[in-house]
Amino acid sequence: MRPPSQMIQIVGSILVALVIAAVAVAVVTAHFGPTSTAKLEAREDAIDARIDAREERRDAAEERREDGED
Amino acid sequence: MDRPVEGLIDDLTRGNVTEVKVVLASVVLALAVYQLVLAAVSYGKVRPRFLESGPATWAHRAIGDALLVLAVAVAVACIAFYGFEEGGAHAVFGCLVLGALAAKVLAVRVGGSSSPLLPWIGIALFGLLAATWLTSAGDFLGVE
Repeated sequence: MRPPSQMIQIVGSILVALVIAAVAVAVVTAHFGPTSTAKLEAREDAIDARIDAREERRDAAEERREDGED
Repeated sequence: MDRPVEGLIDDLTRGNVTEVKVVLASVVLALAVYQLVLAAVSYGKVRPRFLESGPATWAHRAIGDALLVLAVAVAVACIAFYGFEEGGAHAVFGCLVLGALAAKVLAVRVGGSSSPLLPWIGIALFGLLAATWLTSAGDFLGVE
């Protein structure tokens, strides 16, 4: 049996890649499952808290640096 | 939010930065496995009847270009949103992935597609990608 033409092989390879990407998205998204509003809000609060903590650490570091320069 | 990139990423993902990052990183890893298969066909290590070396090489390059964009997008989101402070091993592996990507692009530009370094850089890149995924997305998904 002759192999398909080169163009068909290339298109086929790219289509396989698209299918792999789609399956990966579907599997990982399914793993997350449905999320309740309460959980989403809790997650947002946790992210906000983390960002605030980081900004506080950054501000503190800047203050320490400024104190060191004085 | 006074950090524009962080705000943009938060807006684009509608607050689901981690979930989007995990999905994209998983796509990158899945396609990286496929890239290994295409590379094996390209170098003639595997000879399926339906795929010759030339088309496999072309597809490997095209998918690799797309993967490069995806990997850099995930890295930018990761660094801009989470920074390096809490990264640990994940941050180290992530930086090494970016270094290996740069080395692979450089090897192609300098040595051409027949550079003997390419397969080794490719294998190292895959290993580093897997390690980066395991220390972040794998943790998140509960992979042991």
